[in-house]
Amino acid sequence: MTLEVALLFLQQGIASGLIVGSVYALLALAIVVIFKTSEVPNFSQGEMVMAAGYIALYLLVFRNLPLWIVMPATILAAFAGAALFRRLILNQVARANGSPVNLVIATLGLSYVLRGFVRQTGFGDTPRSFPPVIEPESIMIGQASVTTLDLVILATAVVVMAAFFWMFKYTKIGRAMRAVGMNPKAAQLVGVDLTRIHMIVWGLSGAISAIAALLISPKVLMTADMGSIVTLGFAAAIVGGFTSLPGAVVGGFLIGIIENLVGLFITSRAIVLAPFLAIMLVLVIRPQGLFGGRVEIKKV
Amino acid sequence: MSDKTAAMVSRSEASLLAGWSARGIPLAQIALLALTAAALVVLPFVVTGYVLYIANLLLVFVVLCLGLHLVIGETGQFALAHAAFYGIGIYTSGLAGNAFGWPFPLSMLLAGLIAGAVGVVIGAVALRMRDIYLALATFAFGEAMQWVFLNWDQVTGGPNGLRISPARLGAFEILSDRQAYPVVVVMALLMLLLTIMISRSRLGRAFRAVRESEVAAMAMGVPVRRAKITSFGLSAFYAGVAGSMFATFSTYIHPDSLGFQTTILVLTMVVVGGLGSIAGAVGGAIVFGLISEILRQTPSYQEIIYGLILIVFMMYAPRGLFAFIRDKTGRAARG
Repeated sequence: MTLEVALLFLQQGIASGLIVGSVYALLALAIVVIFKTSEVPNFSQGEMVMAAGYIALYLLVFRNLPLWIVMPATILAAFAGAALFRRLILNQVARANGSPVNLVIATLGLSYVLRGFVRQTGFGDTPRSFPPVIEPESIMIGQASVTTLDLVILATAVVVMAAFFWMFKYTKIGRAMRAVGMNPKAAQLVGVDLTRIHMIVWGLSGAISAIAALLISPKVLMTADMGSIVTLGFAAAIVGGFTSLPGAVVGGFLIGIIENLVGLFITSRAIVLAPFLAIMLVLVIRPQGLFGGRVEIKKV
Repeated sequence: MSDKTAAMVSRSEASLLAGWSARGIPLAQIALLALTAAALVVLPFVVTGYVLYIANLLLVFVVLCLGLHLVIGETGQFALAHAAFYGIGIYTSGLAGNAFGWPFPLSMLLAGLIAGAVGVVIGAVALRMRDIYLALATFAFGEAMQWVFLNWDQVTGGPNGLRISPARLGAFEILSDRQAYPVVVVMALLMLLLTIMISRSRLGRAFRAVRESEVAAMAMGVPVRRAKITSFGLSAFYAGVAGSMFATFSTYIHPDSLGFQTTILVLTMVVVGGLGSIAGAVGGAIVFGLISEILRQTPSYQEIIYGLILIVFMMYAPRGLFAFIRDKTGRAARG
């Protein structure tokens, strides 16, 4: 490989990596915000993305609704679905036995139900792509070729992340979420309604998943198994330290870039291994992740 | 199974299942175990080959569940790569038989040891941090191993799958489920005995101490990290042995059946049976193995039903089916 080709690959890898990475960053954000407030890695996150994608597809293709209705309707449905799952199911699981492991198993259960349900409807039998918001036209940035659609994806993801950070940092509800993340009992003592905050956190996480689904589905083939994309979100979250929201975003972009560089420089067959290698590398070199804080010992 | 073994099993069950008083129960349990033993012996003489195939498969699931029971139920660590170690076991013993014509007891041992060794390495890395990292790292490892099975064409046959030549010992060849059955039964019983012995040993007590409270365990002088790695490595060893058991009666393996679904199936069995109890792991494997075999033709219903079972059990019977029934029938003693 000549230097010129290598430089070209590098530019292309970084450009494409930033674009898919922005979606991974959203997924990682959705995972981390739940983990921060309830110590549960949500293994149904991927299926939430998949289900939201199919809701959008159903409304758009089978109900012929215009895009400006489909998008907010999908996001709302995902918000409501995730919030209700937390309220109706996880609350009962937590009451029955407070162990986080049980909550994790319940999220695995949800992922199975969602996948089986989409398979059962038959929409997933033929892999489909979601029609793009705008016609993709090719643009060159440096020597990297991207499409206008890619830029819309990146911009939307960045705006959503900025809005989320603003909410988390400056609004009352965001402060309450942070308080619950630091110490749920103390937060409750000062008047935070835990049930409500958990519902909102799950709802937000569902809404972010829906946005990620709307962004990624024009670029990938949708199947009932597309939820496996969340592996990359988990990898991003781990790279970022798993409890750090900025870490999740940086991790997402990093994973996107690594994945594309591996695909370009080594072989596209090895892309699947990239998240695993990234996770293992982080665990060996810097187990608390790039942005992870001090390791806390679990209380007795 | 001898009476001595039966008594041993029942005693340990009594001590393991919280809430069972030591008095009163053993007689019923010995009867149940004698019945099970009789059924296991009589089975091959009265049923068809297909039923024996199912029986073999269920016994493989029993061993898989016992392994996951050690790491999740006894030690409280959440590992999600069981299918990967199972696959390592299947390919190892399959290849040892195919390429080198090894006698099957040797390839079984090799399968367990290789899976166990990989488990120790992965565990040593993944257990450096918060509990949750083991779940995530093993999840990623499971995906990566499935990729390896699919893409290492020269060794695993890749997407074409691998034909497994009949298991052999000297001139004796296992050509049918009926011939494999005694081997599989003996292996399952050996692994069950091993589990009970581990559970009753110092090591088993260390595992449970770690599960209950790492800090308290540390204060008592339990080497917490080593206990966790040992437990994870042992569970990988079990999965490897289960894989080699599968290889004795199966003629073909495809990487599709070694993904996250299989891990979740085993997890479902252990959870539904009852986390932390050996009887729960065995019972869950049998009940759920049957359900999964019945629903094999309709994957979407299978997924919905698995999912609903997991959710409903976590909501209303978090300690598993057997504990639930015991509570409901009012036989629970204070323990």
